[in-house]
Amino acid sequence: MAAAASVKAALQVAEALESIVSCCVGPDGRQVLCTKPTGEVLLSRDGGRLLQALHLEHPIARMMVACVSNHLRKAGDGAKTFIIFLSHLLRGLHAIPDQENGSLVSENSQTLGRHWKNCCRWKFISQALLTFQTQILDYVMDEYLSRHFLSIFSSSTKERTLCRNSLELLLEAYFCGRVGRNNHNLISQLMCDYLFKCVAREGGFEEVFELVGDCFVELNVGVTGLPVSDSRIVAGLVLHRDFSGYCPADGDIRIALVTETIQPIFSTSGSEFILNSEAQFRASQFWIMERTKAIMKHLQSQNVKLLLSSVKQPDSVIFYARLNDISVVECLSSEEVSLIQRVIDLSPCVLPQASSRCEISNTAVVKFCKPLVLRSKRYVHLGLISKCSFAPHCLVLCGPVQGLVEQHKDALHGAFKMLRQLFKHLDLNYLTQASDQNYTSSPLIYKNSRESNQLPEIVNGSLQRPYQGTVVKNKDKLAKPQTYLKVYSNLVVPSIELEKHFPCSTPKVTPMDTYQTNETLRCLSPNKTGIIDYGEPFPESNSANSTTENTRIKISYENLQVTKIAGKGSMLPVRYKSREMCSSRSYCFSSIPAGSVLPVGGNFEILLHFYLLNYAKICQQSEEATVGVIVANALLGIPKILHKSKKGNYSFPQMYVRALHALQSGQPMGSRQTGLESVVGKYQLLTSVLQCLTKILTIDLVINIKRQPQEICDQDSEEEL
Amino acid sequence: MSRLEAKKPSLCKSEPLTSERVRATLSVLKGIVTSCYGPSGRLKQLHNGLGGCVCTTSQSSALLANLSVTHPILKILTTAMQNHVSCFSDCGLFTAILCCNLIENVQRIGLTPTTVMKLNKHLLRLCISYLKSEVCGCRIPVDFSSTQILLCLVRSILTSKPACMLTRKEIDHVSALILRTFLLTIPENTEDHIILGKSIIVPLKGQRVIDSTVLPGILIEMSEIQFVKLLPVKKPGSLKVALFCASLSGDLSDTGEGTVVVSYGVSLENAVLDQLLNLGRQLVSDHVDLVMCQKVIHPSLKQFLSMHHVIAIDRVGVALMEPLSKVTGTRPIGSLGSVSPSTYGSVKDWCTAKFGFKHFFHLIPNEATVCSLLLCNRSDTAWDELKVTCQTALHVLQLTLKEPSVLLGGGCTETHLAAYIRHKTCNEPESILKDEGCTQTELQLITEAFCSALESLAGSLEHDGGEILTDLKYGHFWSVQADSPSIVNWSNLLSRCGCGLRNSQEELSWSFLRSTCHPFAPQTCLPHEAAGSANNLTLDCFTAKLNGLQVAVETANLILDLSYVIEDKN
Repeated sequence: MAAAASVKAALQVAEALESIVSCCVGPDGRQVLCTKPTGEVLLSRDGGRLLQALHLEHPIARMMVACVSNHLRKAGDGAKTFIIFLSHLLRGLHAIPDQENGSLVSENSQTLGRHWKNCCRWKFISQALLTFQTQILDYVMDEYLSRHFLSIFSSSTKERTLCRNSLELLLEAYFCGRVGRNNHNLISQLMCDYLFKCVAREGGFEEVFELVGDCFVELNVGVTGLPVSDSRIVAGLVLHRDFSGYCPADGDIRIALVTETIQPIFSTSGSEFILNSEAQFRASQFWIMERTKAIMKHLQSQNVKLLLSSVKQPDSVIFYARLNDISVVECLSSEEVSLIQRVIDLSPCVLPQASSRCEISNTAVVKFCKPLVLRSKRYVHLGLISKCSFAPHCLVLCGPVQGLVEQHKDALHGAFKMLRQLFKHLDLNYLTQASDQNYTSSPLIYKNSRESNQLPEIVNGSLQRPYQGTVVKNKDKLAKPQTYLKVYSNLVVPSIELEKHFPCSTPKVTPMDTYQTNETLRCLSPNKTGIIDYGEPFPESNSANSTTENTRIKISYENLQVTKIAGKGSMLPVRYKSREMCSSRSYCFSSIPAGSVLPVGGNFEILLHFYLLNYAKICQQSEEATVGVIVANALLGIPKILHKSKKGNYSFPQMYVRALHALQSGQPMGSRQTGLESVVGKYQLLTSVLQCLTKILTIDLVINIKRQPQEICDQDSEEEL
Repeated sequence: MSRLEAKKPSLCKSEPLTSERVRATLSVLKGIVTSCYGPSGRLKQLHNGLGGCVCTTSQSSALLANLSVTHPILKILTTAMQNHVSCFSDCGLFTAILCCNLIENVQRIGLTPTTVMKLNKHLLRLCISYLKSEVCGCRIPVDFSSTQILLCLVRSILTSKPACMLTRKEIDHVSALILRTFLLTIPENTEDHIILGKSIIVPLKGQRVIDSTVLPGILIEMSEIQFVKLLPVKKPGSLKVALFCASLSGDLSDTGEGTVVVSYGVSLENAVLDQLLNLGRQLVSDHVDLVMCQKVIHPSLKQFLSMHHVIAIDRVGVALMEPLSKVTGTRPIGSLGSVSPSTYGSVKDWCTAKFGFKHFFHLIPNEATVCSLLLCNRSDTAWDELKVTCQTALHVLQLTLKEPSVLLGGGCTETHLAAYIRHKTCNEPESILKDEGCTQTELQLITEAFCSALESLAGSLEHDGGEILTDLKYGHFWSVQADSPSIVNWSNLLSRCGCGLRNSQEELSWSFLRSTCHPFAPQTCLPHEAAGSANNLTLDCFTAKLNGLQVAVETANLILDLSYVIEDKN
């Protein structure tokens, strides 16, 4: 059975999901109770977990959930925002088709059925979305949004030191959306303390985040039956098991790690042990015992007081260990072993098989080793002395029910993931040429800007970059010529349909660049009259472009003009020219610096909304503009939900108007919210959603197969062979 | 072959608390726990239609463990209570009732969950800081130089469990026993930190409760035949003891993953038996008098030992190993090789004893903190209940040792606390309003809900239709029998308050608990002599009640915060 996939269906699905997740979004979000098939109950505000718990059947819904979990694996946060944003986008797309019908559907498709026509149209949109995501979004982020970014590092020093205050704000905002309303303060404080306790030396944050993120399960202990406020941090490592044999010890305690049984066994797998007489049996038993004894004696002589084993040891090993005052912990999981190895750099002892003498050199010193009793359960508590920048500490998480403890564990784990992402640079790259094409400006703006010099806002930043470099190199601050230059260069691109002009744009850029370089050079001598001269030919060429269809001729004419000016300009070194040409064609690499944050509460969304709308206003290609507007409006959905319960001055419309006003007048956006959130996380979310949307739009049919999946068909084919 | 099956979609319900079904089940649960509460609480008979024995109880631990709840919200509630009980043993019903009351009251006023949770948490903080403060009027510091308060505490716990079926005299007897047991586990020469010993409860069903007793050392039950055999061995004085944790049954140890080929005519059993007998010879030559083994001793070895007048006791079980090694000072031996003399221990004396129809081997230690509480009760179910109660009491005593204070029982703490909170929020609302950003009305509503939850918790101690009063000076709990004349001089009708600290002749004025009375400041600061002099107080464990209060409010908040329930139907 096949069902036509449509935006409408996807929208219905997304809205259903939205209604569930939107109740848990933000600081006012509420909890959801999930039951497992085993009967356990789980509390959650984690969007990813909720979506998975629903076990959705609808194919589009399942696809969305898959996209969300993909995103979560990468970023660790943002599942709820994902769904909300997606449904707003779909709503936006669903609303446009009527006006846009003609412009987007090509003529050939009219002969096909209506559904196919729709699909074709959606495909165009999805392509536009993809272009938007890969090119415009990065550009807008880099050019406009980046100036609003705050950093989580304290700015006073050159080195990257984490500012405790901002970290607290960041974590609090994160936990606001993740744990129950009464507990987020407590949990974020706990996490903050934990982080600062775990970082042994300055600047080792990345390493700690990585280690804690990898081994979080081993670094926390859940205790039920106590109030959440009893959660605390304990120094050292807590192993989730009890001693098999415990002998109290203090002072210089050394530990050894083994991965095999210490007592030799009669025969290993694959071998055969032949017993010929009872005496032989007795002798071999005696030898085994003596050997175990000898190893333990040796360990004791090495001052080993604790033996960690990843396997179960026979009873007699524990007995001899106790005789020699050695405590034993057995059955450590491989994760625990690897954590211990990472922290204290201890490799397991290798026990020589044959010789009766053994040398155990791999031991490490621990501060203490004692049992820890938490709610009548006993744990092993080790005071490891760290060899890396992670000072081992464990979190004891308390809660009245297991479900709540689990929720806090998940949230903390997610927070570490989020911090790890935050501490990475995120590369933004976009094609400068492409942005040239996308960028169109009318002559009107050009004229205005010539007088008022306000254009930097709408100027293509990718072009700005190399020139800034040149100027700085020459130690000359020539802001004004630069501005004109940019305006000028942008105007070269004609404001006519994208598809038709695409092939021509390449030759156009080349001469333009020669001109620019030329001018930069000329500007070194403060000669301002020249600039006006250069500007003159352009309105002429532009108007020609827009009125006539025969662009090829015009372009050649324009090229001629430009080169002529360039020649007139004066001795332009060829070497210089070619380099500039290269840079104008190549990708522009930039990045969101590590640790970039923005105030929480929809700031990112409103900023991006504002700049996208601005961008769309000056963008004359309807497709780009439409996509830009849709994305911009969909972005508003998130602050709308966040401010849903606020009244009066803090209600969404009020806040929105104030923010826009502030942005237009160039003032800082006054934010009442005190929390911070990661920009990288938001950016990744945005790209993930757009990718998901393109995926949804490109599907035209959903085919329902009622057959057992996998294996069965494989078997058939084998039989045939 | 594994079969893949499509997962069934989950069931998702919004606003679960508003559904009629949830409300009904919540109120059923509340009815069950409320009716069990207190000394006059009603008993519940739990019987599983699929088998198992019938259980008569009024204790939260037994009740909640046996109830099968299906709705996820109830599951959250009951597991929270069970977790609390497994941590603190006491105050399970208190927690459950308070939680149910809070949910019910808050739902009735219909404020947004955010405000409710914030304010509930704030009120909880107020309660905790008051209960922990010096001026607290319902907390008594424990003086360990006298047993008075501890005895009252134990007695209150026993009294509040009617399913133990004890008379007044029996309660006195058992509470004295429990206190003695507890004192026996405290080591005499204390170092910087105390490690408490262990008390073992030995069952003796079908006997009179008065026959219960506590003995230092360990009682090991044995059959009559063994008992008779032991009698002639009897010689006075200390014994040298060997304690084995390895099996002495002669079975082969693990031979590894490979194969072991045994040639024809070679008998490994004989080899092992030889080894065992060698061990026996060594034990005899070392003058060991008593051999105990966690697992099985081979009959030949047993025979050999008894021939040499060595007492052999096997199948001791893993639970007794730790106390045994403590009592005898041995290290459990884990190998059949030669035994080093350092692993032997000793006991001061031993004797055989017969209690009821059971025979015991009694080890009397030199100096150890292990004791056995021989607990008798008439029927199985009553014994089970009594055992849990004893464990609770012992745990509560341990908790009290850690945090040496107790709370007034009998409902007085709850009414006093409610009066304090009412007064506090009425007179100093500014600080709360500023901190939490809510309106005065909201605060009043929530305070009313919170306090009336506490008060109706105290009120559920009364099951016989009596009236409940509170005095307007101390804020204590007073109950009047049903069908008393309507307008009387209260001071003649009442005798003592719920905890027994106040009597009615102190020129107090009373009002009905559920009537709306003007908030008053309950007198704080207990007079010192009051705590010392009164010998018949009803007391509650401080740590357990404090935790119960916190868990109840947190759980209620959690449940009130739920907006969806997603049930996995797989």
